[in-house]
Amino acid sequence: MKNKKNAKYPLLFLLLALSVIAVFWANLFIGSVNISPRRILSALGGADGTQADIIRKIRLPRAAAALFLGGALSVSGYLLQTFFNNPIAGPFVLGVSSGAKLTVAAMLIIFSGYSISSSSGFMILAAFAGSMLALGFVLIISRKTNNMSMLVVCGIMIGYICSAATDFLVTFADDSDIADLHDWSQGTFSGTNTHNVLTAAVIIFIGMIGTLLISKPMHAYMLGSDNARSLGVNIKLLKAEIVILSGLFSACVTAFAGPVSFVGIAVPHISRTIFRTSKPIVMIPACFLCGSIFCMLCDMAARTAFSPTELSISTVTSVFGAPIVIAVMIRRRKEGSL
Amino acid sequence: MINTAVSCRDLSAGYGKKAVIKNISLDVRGGEILTLIGPNGAGKSTLLKAIAGYLERLDGSVKIGQMENADARELAKLLSVTLTDRVRPELMTCREVIELGRYPYSGMFGRLSDSDIAAVESAIDDTKTREISDCFFSKVSDGQRQLVMLAKAVCQQPQVLILDEPTSYLDIKHKIDFFEVLRPLVRQRQTAVIISMHELELARTVSDMIVCIKDGSVADTGTPDEIFDPDKIMRLYDIPKELYDKYIG
Repeated sequence: MKNKKNAKYPLLFLLLALSVIAVFWANLFIGSVNISPRRILSALGGADGTQADIIRKIRLPRAAAALFLGGALSVSGYLLQTFFNNPIAGPFVLGVSSGAKLTVAAMLIIFSGYSISSSSGFMILAAFAGSMLALGFVLIISRKTNNMSMLVVCGIMIGYICSAATDFLVTFADDSDIADLHDWSQGTFSGTNTHNVLTAAVIIFIGMIGTLLISKPMHAYMLGSDNARSLGVNIKLLKAEIVILSGLFSACVTAFAGPVSFVGIAVPHISRTIFRTSKPIVMIPACFLCGSIFCMLCDMAARTAFSPTELSISTVTSVFGAPIVIAVMIRRRKEGSL
Repeated sequence: MINTAVSCRDLSAGYGKKAVIKNISLDVRGGEILTLIGPNGAGKSTLLKAIAGYLERLDGSVKIGQMENADARELAKLLSVTLTDRVRPELMTCREVIELGRYPYSGMFGRLSDSDIAAVESAIDDTKTREISDCFFSKVSDGQRQLVMLAKAVCQQPQVLILDEPTSYLDIKHKIDFFEVLRPLVRQRQTAVIISMHELELARTVSDMIVCIKDGSVADTGTPDEIFDPDKIMRLYDIPKELYDKYIG
């Protein structure tokens, strides 16, 4: 029984990896300009021309952004769900994305005259500070209440406060400063260039290694902190690691794509349904791959559904993500565990 | 085999600087069950946490095995603690929970060696949990869940087991089942057990030693026969004689 169960994981991973490649390819292929597969290949190979530029400068970075950032966002959600032992936690509902949005917007406005504002490292740093700030508030609240719903409600309130503060800043900023800000604050993968994507990919890669390294203590932590402690887990260290990693992932996403809703909550549940396990060593890569697929599909829908008008990515992720969250809550309510 | 597995000397501990338990001394030998009884809020759980090292010790010493101050990983091989948190991790099988008991021994990503697997198998056999080992932990009954947690603790191959009210939520049948598993297991493995409970009738039959805790101190220590004297119980729990006679006597 046990062996049979483990034997299906490689197959599932293989299927997911193939899906990632297929959807990535579809993202390069589908768009307002028709480009043949052969041209796509030659563009990737370094050919010149308008079509090659479309592929290399627009579609490729955008698809890659959806791939890496979507994966990172899902893992961030998975980490937060594990940390709070709360199935409806995620960077967006807990206000982490909005916190990052606030600091990034503030930095963009304050430093609008300087070229520093376009530096991707600087953006990530600002977003990371904002994520940590919002998570800090959520952590303070979580000390006062163990109630899952209360925690989420407080997170949403923190999110609203940060959004209000962002709107306030935007209202009093010069129009020229906020032209980009408006698109970005809605969430989009379109603003990315190759350099940004590479920066994000490197940070996310390091973050993923860090996350896999704590998969063993995270597994024990699922039995509750007292039991984990009895097994020899350093709880304080583990908690700090989880918070920093999830903050890093959602900061990366917010810095480059703005706040993207529901991916962080919904995708871990999709992955659980596929793999039927909670083992972090399986779930971490599974969440990453499912998140990549989910975000690439959503971005493709955002680009093409009402072409030439483009939807914001959050519009699409909400449409598909929110029903999943509702389904999860209803199922858990039936089982009496929420 | 007369080896003292746990030895507390003048232990005082509490939350912050305030001592909740004061000057506690007790010894437990391998293969022996020591039961803490006493009123709610007397400090039984606090004492268990203090022995486990979860609380700042204000005074005194605790020796687990031969070690006085082991690091977390070494301590996890000597001492297993099961407190009352009632967690229901989702999509985790009972076997997976039990395997986590090998945490202090297993490799970096939790990979189990052959000896780890052998320890898991024998823990499953000793706790009679084979039937449910492939079920999800969140789906089995409360009684089965306690047995699985016991199996997890046994997997750590500790010299000392600390159990905080393991049977409180169980019906009488499952309480009995639990001790039917625990008693032979600790005898065979020569594990020292410190357990807290409210069920006096059970405490009397399953314990080798009883320690009465009242107001954060040891009120009395002795064998079950010495402790289960109506006068002592009445005093320990502040029950007036007429009520004791009416309901218990």
